Amino acid sequence: MNKDLSKVRNIGISAHIDSGKTTLTERILFYTKKIHAIHEVRGKDGVGAKMDSMELEKERGITIQSAATYCSWKSVDINIIDTPGHVDFTVEVERALRVLDGAILVLCSVGGVQSQSITVNRQMTRYTVPRIAFINKCDRTGANPEKVTRQLRDKLDLNAHMMQIPIGLESDLKGMIDLITMKAVYFEDPNGETIVEREIPAEYQAEAQTKRETLLEEVSMFSEELMEALLEGGDIDTQLIYDAVRKGTLALEFTPVLMGSAYKNKGVQLLLDAVERYLPCPTDVVNMALDLKNEEKEFAVTNSPDDPLIMLAFKLEDGRYGQLTYTRTYQGKLAKGDTVFNSRTGKKTKIGRLCRMHSNEMEEIEACGSGDIVALFGVDCASGDTFTSEEISCSMTSMHIPEPVISLAVIPKDNKAQMNMSKALNRFTKEDPTFKTYVDHETGETIISGMGELHLEVYVERMKREYDAVVEVGAPQVAYRETISQKASFSYTHKKQTGGSGQFGRVGGYMEPLEEGDYEFVDSIVGGVIPREFIGSCDKGFKKSLEKGSLCGAAITGVRCVINDGAYHAVDSSDIAFQLAAIGAFKEGYLKAKPIIMEPIMKVAVEGPTEFQGSVMGSINQRRGMIIGTTEEGSYSAVEAEVPLSEMFGYSTALRSLTQGKAEFTMEFASFKPVPKGVSEQLIKAYQDERKNA
Amino acid sequence: MGNNELIVNNPLRALGLEDKSGGVQAMMGLVMARAGLGKTAILVQFALDCMLLGNRVLHVAIGEGVDKTRTWYDDILSLLTDGEKISSIPEIMKNRMIMTFKESSFSKALLEERLDDLVKQNIYKPECLIIDGYDFANNDRESLEGLRNFMNDRGLKMIWFSAVSHRDDKRVSLDGVPAPCHEVDSLFETVLLIKPVGDAMKLDILKCDSCKLDPGTTLMLDPSTMLIKKG
Repeated sequence: MNKDLSKVRNIGISAHIDSGKTTLTERILFYTKKIHAIHEVRGKDGVGAKMDSMELEKERGITIQSAATYCSWKSVDINIIDTPGHVDFTVEVERALRVLDGAILVLCSVGGVQSQSITVNRQMTRYTVPRIAFINKCDRTGANPEKVTRQLRDKLDLNAHMMQIPIGLESDLKGMIDLITMKAVYFEDPNGETIVEREIPAEYQAEAQTKRETLLEEVSMFSEELMEALLEGGDIDTQLIYDAVRKGTLALEFTPVLMGSAYKNKGVQLLLDAVERYLPCPTDVVNMALDLKNEEKEFAVTNSPDDPLIMLAFKLEDGRYGQLTYTRTYQGKLAKGDTVFNSRTGKKTKIGRLCRMHSNEMEEIEACGSGDIVALFGVDCASGDTFTSEEISCSMTSMHIPEPVISLAVIPKDNKAQMNMSKALNRFTKEDPTFKTYVDHETGETIISGMGELHLEVYVERMKREYDAVVEVGAPQVAYRETISQKASFSYTHKKQTGGSGQFGRVGGYMEPLEEGDYEFVDSIVGGVIPREFIGSCDKGFKKSLEKGSLCGAAITGVRCVINDGAYHAVDSSDIAFQLAAIGAFKEGYLKAKPIIMEPIMKVAVEGPTEFQGSVMGSINQRRGMIIGTTEEGSYSAVEAEVPLSEMFGYSTALRSLTQGKAEFTMEFASFKPVPKGVSEQLIKAYQDERKNA
Repeated sequence: MGNNELIVNNPLRALGLEDKSGGVQAMMGLVMARAGLGKTAILVQFALDCMLLGNRVLHVAIGEGVDKTRTWYDDILSLLTDGEKISSIPEIMKNRMIMTFKESSFSKALLEERLDDLVKQNIYKPECLIIDGYDFANNDRESLEGLRNFMNDRGLKMIWFSAVSHRDDKRVSLDGVPAPCHEVDSLFETVLLIKPVGDAMKLDILKCDSCKLDPGTTLMLDPSTMLIKKG
């Protein structure tokens, strides 16, 4: 049976932390009859919201993993991915956006466009995701949806327009006026499930009329028919307006703004109507895949169920029954028992079970098709893998993955913990490409690295809770880098004669700073002074040298090594001899090339009441931060700065005490910059001491 | 290309602002134009020149965001350096801070408070102030005098303003300074007016107490970059 794809919506819900998106998702599930009772995020009933399935999420009141769920509203099937709000989990947001066709950008009616909304909006733009905005928490003191709509225009550069106006605000919020149908909409019964339409109250008539005219004028830019109808005057067909809004939204040239209060059960059903009306169905979006049989040439997927299968694994989870792989199907169909190919590994896999996920509950299904988001059981793969049918070989476009900036050592308490930790780390690295792990050869410690303190903290907690791996955690370490600041030459001979066959190799050339990229190897050898078979050995030797710099033991990046001279011995030269010669040559050149230590610099945004702006700026200054700018809007202000990551440990506590808990901050990696002289000396000394004591 | 080369090559040298003043006397300057003709581009050129000379600039953008203002600097700097990557740029950028306000909330008192916050905590002490988007139509002479006194009290070397003129408002001062600044022109040492003439952009020097060029001189602007054309 082929599904009507125009009745499918794959949407994400993204927002700044604490904008109430999990509560909103909870209400959506309630109104679509997926759940029969409402549980608040930090509710007194102790159940927690449905979408926060991980215990940790329930405890902290934040969403960490994007739980996928499925529901139906009127005639459409909606797949929802609830995405994390904290910037440390940005890769989760990015992955969700990669597989979604449209999104709801949730904003707080008091806080408005906050730093994370800007990040999320940028991500949505990167993946050309059409969006509608939902201004939540209109029942809160200080709610101002008009201000937030203005901010959407000014700060996010969106052509945002209110589709509704609120009837009352703050504790007086009663309902909304729909500017298209020109009806007042109220939400009755204890859970707001009954929608009642009435005439617009007299005191709102004039405002509603003016706002409708402005809205129609704007929307008519997307429909000639509507423009003509407006010029002719008289009644305008509402479908004409809906079509024009949809056209503008899909072209990313218009952002419909809806509002309400999920917590007070107001406005959610109208948002669902908007999802149906304005957000794209799978066939409205062009998704590109790379043809692996044709030099990775890009081609558009067809969405047709009759074409070969193309399916992307965008998320892995370790559930009670083994690995659960969340997938999005782009074309073709898949039934229970079918065999698919993993285009990365080339392995065949038989699909045993298919499920639609509803947070951590599942509904087994027989088959899925184009546009569907479903979970597969027992499939061994990594996040980002593409599954296809046998006749084609392609991969969905790769995702942008940022480099980790922070690391810490994890030491298992006992042997059992050691085994469990290995299992957990194996799973986490498969699930999350920004989470990396390795063993430090010198100390023998297991190091985990990721995108921020909270990011790693959550994984350490998950190790304990989900894998029973009790670990001790070292102090967080900044992922420093070493690089060179000038060109330097080298000429090194490796010679060893201790009986039997000896070792001989000479490598000559120079190294210089590389502006873009980590490492480049250039072979400028002429006349065979280093035989061809040993050129690769030189490259290998240089690469080994890059693993650990001599200043502070950090990885070396931004180096171009050029070899243009050398010597060999017909008997004593070997792969290992040239590798060692290259290591010696690197060591020699490196010290002459004035190496420097680089540190990760984070883009930090602190937002809070204006009265604390002075102290916030002071706190950033104390942390070697450079203030880029400040933004002041009434009683609310934001400070944007670039601060070294090493100075940001414990900042959340400092900020809380400095601002009576009223300010919050977000940070994301910006760039690597040289550390100041004083800090560099400290790092070098610490490394030398460490080596002495080792 | 080094810093010195950038300073010498800066098209602003054509104005010879440093020639008469010797860089000692504090001064207030004004760039006027109709909306959308490139006032910010000229202000940013002044700011960058100050920064390259080692002065700290506080750029106050009224009704504009931090990111948009930053982009202006990146764009103009990239034009000045012909896109060349210069190692000292991150260091130069430490001489800039952007402060943005909503039109309705900006006041001298608020600016004073914010600046004092920065100076007292030893976070940032600017020598030059750029005020882009100041509402001349709704602020009187007294407020501007207040800002002038503020400049002297805080030891600022200069403040540059931008102002929007309107085609249909024909009022001008004796020096030819158009409304809404025609009654406050005596508070400024330098007043420049951007004027489109056909496909070209001209920069009229209406008043310049501290530059080598005489009032009435016209410089040409490159309409695609808004940099002052040399020679």
